[in-house]
Amino acid sequence: MAGDGTDTFHITFEFPDGSEHTVTTDRDEYVLAAARRAGLDLPSRCEVGWDLTCAVRVLDGELDHTDAQRYFPADQQAGFALICRATPRADLRLRTHQAIAMRDHRLAHRLPTPYGV
Amino acid sequence: MTEKPHATGTVAPGDVTRRVGIEMLRQRGIDVEQLIQKLIDNAAAEFASTYYYYSILRMYLAGHEDYKEICEDARLEDRQHYELILPRIYELGGSLPYSLHEFADRAGCPHAYLPGTDNGSHPPEQPPSAADILTVLLESERCAIRSWQEICDICAGKDPRTYDLAARILNEEIEHEAWFIELLAMERDGQVQPSGHFRRGAPGEAPYSRNRAFHHGGAGN
Repeated sequence: MAGDGTDTFHITFEFPDGSEHTVTTDRDEYVLAAARRAGLDLPSRCEVGWDLTCAVRVLDGELDHTDAQRYFPADQQAGFALICRATPRADLRLRTHQAIAMRDHRLAHRLPTPYGV
Repeated sequence: MTEKPHATGTVAPGDVTRRVGIEMLRQRGIDVEQLIQKLIDNAAAEFASTYYYYSILRMYLAGHEDYKEICEDARLEDRQHYELILPRIYELGGSLPYSLHEFADRAGCPHAYLPGTDNGSHPPEQPPSAADILTVLLESERCAIRSWQEICDICAGKDPRTYDLAARILNEEIEHEAWFIELLAMERDGQVQPSGHFRRGAPGEAPYSRNRAFHHGGAGN
């Protein structure tokens, strides 16, 4: 949190090419929407927290997945998030483009997942 | 050096364990195993996420007979998309999962649950609004567009057969999106967003993706 008591959060995205981008949002905005508002082009497909196209690895921070249609406690324990339907509950550092890693995690835990991500 | 690269290959005459139709794709850089997985995910989305769940959505459009008929067109055409892509999965050496439960679970797009059911866990306490149902329909079609566009992108210039099938499906998914934008814009916002739609000749006509007639009559029906 920014520390000013306004529930404003800073989200830093780490991209595969090593670049970083930080955006500012609040507790009601989906993380992907905040990224789009800042002009970042991140992969997504279902927009309801079902498939894994938008998956990220949570390096630091906490998210709320209440609105996601299919998100499991094991996903959170493994440090994955579906940012199309997740809102921030703290400042975040996220590694983007983690769909394949999250699919492998789901398969290892016998959890539902598309195979072809 | 050959001047006919298409006439080369590693499949021996009489070999029935391999398919030239697959080897040619590999030679052109297609990851056939990955493509199969994507096609199964998409087939599951058409069959389970939309065809099945659109059945329920349609039932709850009572009083909106125009919406009901258009939902039915999309429902039947999504079943047609499943029928169209199914043989291609096997041609490429793939297979449907042997469990329907597993098949539904791996759908690449979300199940189009009836609003107010907590993702299908209970009947709705209040009838959902037409706008809520149209919103589910719209977002389902958008996911389908992204999914089939991806197949077209992978196959363009390399796998003309899969490309053709995916493009035919994509044509109809794009139409479906436009239909539901038109209906939702008016129902929810009182705005006109024309789609160009009038009506299918018959329910679920599937003008682009119709493959083999599976309801009433035979070819050409």
